[in-house]
Amino acid sequence: MDPSRDAHPCQQIVAAVLDALSGGELAAGAKLPSVRGMAAEALVNHNTAARAYRDLEQLGVVRGENGRGVFVTRGGPGIARRMRRAQTLDAFQVAMHEALRAGHDPAVLARLLGGLGGLSENGRRSA
Amino acid sequence: MKSVIRVEGLTKRFGRRVVLEDVSFEVPADGVTVLLGGNGAGKTTLVRCLMGLSGMDAGRIEVCGLDPARSGRGVRERVGYVPDEADAYPWMNARDLFRFLRAQYPKWDDERAYRLLERLGAPLATTFGAMSRGEAAKVMLAAALAPAPQLVLLDEPFARLAPPVREKVLGVFVEEAPIAGGAALVATHDLDVAARIADRVLVLDGGRVVVDTDVRALVAARAGGGSVRESLRALYPHREVA
Repeated sequence: MDPSRDAHPCQQIVAAVLDALSGGELAAGAKLPSVRGMAAEALVNHNTAARAYRDLEQLGVVRGENGRGVFVTRGGPGIARRMRRAQTLDAFQVAMHEALRAGHDPAVLARLLGGLGGLSENGRRSA
Repeated sequence: MKSVIRVEGLTKRFGRRVVLEDVSFEVPADGVTVLLGGNGAGKTTLVRCLMGLSGMDAGRIEVCGLDPARSGRGVRERVGYVPDEADAYPWMNARDLFRFLRAQYPKWDDERAYRLLERLGAPLATTFGAMSRGEAAKVMLAAALAPAPQLVLLDEPFARLAPPVREKVLGVFVEEAPIAGGAALVATHDLDVAARIADRVLVLDGGRVVVDTDVRALVAARAGGGSVRESLRALYPHREVA
């Protein structure tokens, strides 16, 4: 974990798992490290890792199975992708408002967006 | 007295610094108890101990009849908790948060959550990452009251609100908290907040509970009468910040 980022370490673990899910590195049914293993890997204490797993379970993306471990749910990747979309749209809106406040011409921004729209159709995987 | 919180001999140190020293008190199972104290008095540490988020060096804690260190899940199901910094995920909006909390609270009430959001004038679709701190505080308050928990536990929930907004939010809190049917413990440094909402007051100073009183009895016993605020002020060790 990167302590210089201001998100709580627990939130960083959750974000990393959601990223891996929406990027396809973790698929439905995949097994996650144990809480102890995750704590060691992320250099956080046991409670922080446990809380991250609890939140992931509450989000519906993983499920703990008694004694066997923690697994990605069937709907997990889809949920993660939806969250990721909401998150990036929000970042985009914030950036757009900042650009407008800074005095950029809306017409110029719209042209930029039009250009990006063309790009995304061809280069979707690059994002 | 039926109690929703019992604390006995709670001591908490950070290194050599004693933050809470032999703290004992009870919070009755109804009404609003205010935990009043200045910056650094130990309010947030105490609240975190009650939620089992912080270990302790000595003492015993019972919240809704459970030991928060051993029965974290049971306590989380029964307590509507708002920490001093909103800790919701930045990509969540109110709707996402409510969906998330539905899995945590057996008695979660969506209708009540959305009604509270509207009454508080809190945003529905804005994500926490884009909310002001005041907006985030309102959404968190709605989320804390929505499941009608046995205990609403709020750490400085009104501190981030501009005065006119704060008055409105306090009004909603005073009306809605009893509807939930449980008790509330509200940590604050603000005498005006305490005077507006408290049935009981605990004053925390230097890591100790120095006052534990019923507000009506306090005002009645004060020679010459006076307002609730004046009566509280006389007890408050940090008069300069009030």
